[in-house]
Amino acid sequence: MPAPAANHLLTELAATQRQRLNLAVACGLLAGSLTFLQAALFAWIVSALLVNHQTLAHSAPLFALWLLALPLRGLFSYAQETLAQKASLAVRQQLRRRLLDHLVRLGPVRLAGYHSASLSYQVVEQVEALDGYFARFRVQLVLAVLLPLTVLGITLYLDWLAALFLLLAAPLIPLFMALVGMGAERLNSEQFAAVSRLSGHFIDRVRSLTTLQLFGQTQRATHSVHAAADGYRQRSLRTLRLAFLSSAVLEFFASAAIAVVAIYVGFGLLGYISYGPADKLTLFSGLLILLLAPEFFQPLRSLAQHYHDRAAALGAAERLAELLSRTPPATRLKTPPSALAPGAFELLLLKDACVAHPGRGVVLGPVSLRIGRGDTVVVTGASGSGKSTLLQLAAGFVAPDDGVRQSSADLRFAWMDQRPLLIHATLADNLRLAVPEASDAALYRALESAQLSELLAQLPSGLETPIGERGTGLSGGQAQRLALARIFLSAAPLVLLDEPTASLDEHSEQAVMAAFVALQRAGRTLVIATHHPALIALATRRWHLDHGRLEELAHG
Amino acid sequence: MAKPERLLTTLRPWLSVLASRQRRLWLGALLMALTLFSALGLLAVSGWFITATGLTGLLFTAGIAATLDVYVPGGAIRLFAITRTASRYLERLYNHDTVLRLLADLRTRLFGVLAQLDSRALASRRASDWLNRLTADIDTLDSLYLRLMAPPAVALLAGAVLSGVTALFVPLAGGFLAAVLLLGWLWLTLGQARLGMAASRRHVDELEALRGSVMETLQGLAELDAYGALPHQQRSLDQLEARLHHSQRSLGRWVALGNALQAWLLGIATLGTLWLAAAAFQAGSISGAVMVMLPMAVMAMSEAFATLPAAFTWLGATRGAAERLNGLAPPRTRQPAAQATSAETPPDNARTLCLDNVGVRYPGAFQPALDGLSLSLAAGERLAVEGASGSGKSTLAALLGRQLSPSLGAITLGGVALEAWPEAALRSRVAVLTQQTELLDDSLAANLRLADADADDSTLWRVLKQVLLADWALTLPQGLHTRVGEGGRQISGGQARRVALARLYLCQPDLVVLDEPFAGVDASTAQALASALHLWLSDRTVVYLVHKADGDTALPGMTRTLTLTAGRPDQTATIRHGTGATTQR
Repeated sequence: MPAPAANHLLTELAATQRQRLNLAVACGLLAGSLTFLQAALFAWIVSALLVNHQTLAHSAPLFALWLLALPLRGLFSYAQETLAQKASLAVRQQLRRRLLDHLVRLGPVRLAGYHSASLSYQVVEQVEALDGYFARFRVQLVLAVLLPLTVLGITLYLDWLAALFLLLAAPLIPLFMALVGMGAERLNSEQFAAVSRLSGHFIDRVRSLTTLQLFGQTQRATHSVHAAADGYRQRSLRTLRLAFLSSAVLEFFASAAIAVVAIYVGFGLLGYISYGPADKLTLFSGLLILLLAPEFFQPLRSLAQHYHDRAAALGAAERLAELLSRTPPATRLKTPPSALAPGAFELLLLKDACVAHPGRGVVLGPVSLRIGRGDTVVVTGASGSGKSTLLQLAAGFVAPDDGVRQSSADLRFAWMDQRPLLIHATLADNLRLAVPEASDAALYRALESAQLSELLAQLPSGLETPIGERGTGLSGGQAQRLALARIFLSAAPLVLLDEPTASLDEHSEQAVMAAFVALQRAGRTLVIATHHPALIALATRRWHLDHGRLEELAHG
Repeated sequence: MAKPERLLTTLRPWLSVLASRQRRLWLGALLMALTLFSALGLLAVSGWFITATGLTGLLFTAGIAATLDVYVPGGAIRLFAITRTASRYLERLYNHDTVLRLLADLRTRLFGVLAQLDSRALASRRASDWLNRLTADIDTLDSLYLRLMAPPAVALLAGAVLSGVTALFVPLAGGFLAAVLLLGWLWLTLGQARLGMAASRRHVDELEALRGSVMETLQGLAELDAYGALPHQQRSLDQLEARLHHSQRSLGRWVALGNALQAWLLGIATLGTLWLAAAAFQAGSISGAVMVMLPMAVMAMSEAFATLPAAFTWLGATRGAAERLNGLAPPRTRQPAAQATSAETPPDNARTLCLDNVGVRYPGAFQPALDGLSLSLAAGERLAVEGASGSGKSTLAALLGRQLSPSLGAITLGGVALEAWPEAALRSRVAVLTQQTELLDDSLAANLRLADADADDSTLWRVLKQVLLADWALTLPQGLHTRVGEGGRQISGGQARRVALARLYLCQPDLVVLDEPFAGVDASTAQALASALHLWLSDRTVVYLVHKADGDTALPGMTRTLTLTAGRPDQTATIRHGTGATTQR
């Protein structure tokens, strides 16, 4: 069952597009009314020709009116669809912005608990999953109530007994809808689960293909893929047999309504029915009732077809609402309350600062420290001792849960960790992330400082060489040095480095080390979390973290 | 259509998969047609019946004696009402069954194609988003029949039958209907497909680009934030989204246009038929009831046409899916090896190995992954190749397992060129423990039996004992039938590694390649495992691939080392000789 949060989110989003959605409903109603008008014209023409024995030329105005109604109806149905689609586009755009803003505010630390692939799946695919709900379902839901009511009204006016036949089906409609809904929902959820299990099996085999090849087992695995898919087919057919019944019921009533109305009207016209309004039936009213009977059920059938849109949207909205309910840390909500005077010796100051992570308790602190300009601070400690948290606190990615963090008012900082950012663009674009207006000459200097000139010389289009997705073409060490080049480019006074040399080969490691020395000479302030002895040797100050407690080591 | 031939070429392999189930497809389409004809008949006969009764009723009131058989049409109406419901239900069930069968066929076929890929192609495609797209693409293709083949065929058939029947009564109306319906059909299928082709074809790529960019942003949030580059990144995201929405907007418009045109078209057809039938009625060639029946049947045709615009506007999506899947077919690099299977008698052993100036360059990489590697191993030698990640060790492992062909140089195994080895012989003579432990989401026993399908339970227990997992497995309620979970996630990384080792012990290879054999296993366990490994390795030729040869655990029986740096053998590194040293070439 959908969580209330999902419904709430969908309603809230729909409210922002109320005008468009209402207009779409109005257009749908007008298009529907024109369909009824066409039915009436049809009955009228037939009655004029057959009962009143008019000539064809005499009924030409009726044909003309019909001809006029046709494009008008098309126009309204076009407007209905495009308006609802505009609403859906606007909703998705707005929601995606909101999600991204929220994720940015959550910051890198809070996001670390999520898999970035699944997060981006949420921001893209799950937002897309709302499309059908806004572009079709919501409008159809209103029309499925209003249009049958209109049909009922017209029929009631023409012949109350015929209307009674439709009305007899009417109390069943909510029941159908529930049936269809339940059927569709169950179908959707069970099918969904089964499909993902099956996909899981397939993906699992594909992922293990190397092993299967090495053991010469691919043939056997191919059979198992087929067997799994076939087993899924047999199981899901059992579900489908029932699920399709609910729509068959709707189909049956639509067919039966036409049949019952046709036979009732026919016998009434013959004068066989002496009861009720039947003797007042004419060919006109009889035909019109017959033509309207299927229209009574049509909107419901359309709704049933769009029911899976609702299920998909609710599923997606539930997870999106959960994501939006995460609260961002305080520093990222507003500017930090207290700033050090610009130009002060200290760049950063912590007083009894503590950081706690949900579920893990206090991971850092209380810590008091000051980082002065030109310092090279090396932070050591076992993994899990809070090194990364200290750097994140220094960067302001997390706020202290307790205590104070003060930074110089003009503080700019550069950041590098083990997973350097590479965007799907040219080498120059990747560098200019740090300084958008940097000249080519500056880029070359930065690459040289990061010891990437050798690579640059090999690149076919130099700075304009595209760096593929996830840094295709660059080795891990080169990607790291690219991030380093950004640091050189940025000229930010404070440089925060989280395990910068882990997973580097010896060659890259030496290059990176030399670069740090260069940064040091340039007067930058470095804070490095590391285990590496050579890096430790660069330190002018050494801090050791043990279970979140900081100790400054005497440094010789 | 843009390029009908190219489109057909793209879809041909998939159409041929469908063709293998021709009978089901025809029967499914027949059921679809039966449903449609029931709907047509229901409305047409009802219209006929009401008009006939109305006219007879008028005669009655005028005091003229008249007869009308009400039982045949009444029966027909009831029959159509029932067949429409029943055939619709059967059709949906039957066709979904067909689609699921096709899904199984397509998956199997695709898996066969993937099994031919070399390790480089597999490694670059291991990412889960690629796999998800792959499965989504198959799902797009499995509905090819239900969306794009059966409905237009049935609509065309129904249009032809309806025009034919109408022509029997009013030839002119029949001709008019045939012309309007055919033109309409052409527009709603080919015309709509042409309109939407470009946008629906690139839709998936635009989604991917957006997702890729979102992922970059989230992964690089720390750096983006530090450099104040977030607004810039946001702008580029907005651009990607605008492109996606632009396509969606045009596609939505085209579909809406198609739907509106479809309704307009059937309106014109109904109107025209009524006009022509009325003229025929006034000329005295048809009865009043027939005059009503014909246009009412036309009205019911909307059921056949309604789904066409949306399905065909999005034809490009199906095309794109087919193109991507077609693109998977491997360049025929591994093929010759597979063909060699039938050739000459298998080489008698794989105990010696010789690499001569071997190089591998991956397409798109700036540097070769492996460059100028020469080495030679005598029978029973144990070489350790050490290097940092990215130094080319895994490439070497893929080469030795023949999952990759060298771009340069030659590899000789047991005196025979590696590519000439028959597949089955190679798999039984060479065993590779990959760096990444790959376990199937299946039982412990099934994972072990990958190495030897015929191994009995006692053999499995024996190898589990060799990796010190027998005691643990005994405590499991389901024993050997315990499922290891997706990628072995139900068990610890160290246990998974030991299962992979146990699996290796079921083989009897001549050459063994061990990529970080004790990865994820704690030091004391690794020591214990090493002695069993040493025993099993006796008389076999071994290549160890490790980060550091003198790391935490000793490599049993290692005779010498080779250091790889950025794909090149490191000349300066000292060559350490262990016990039973053999001189390097």
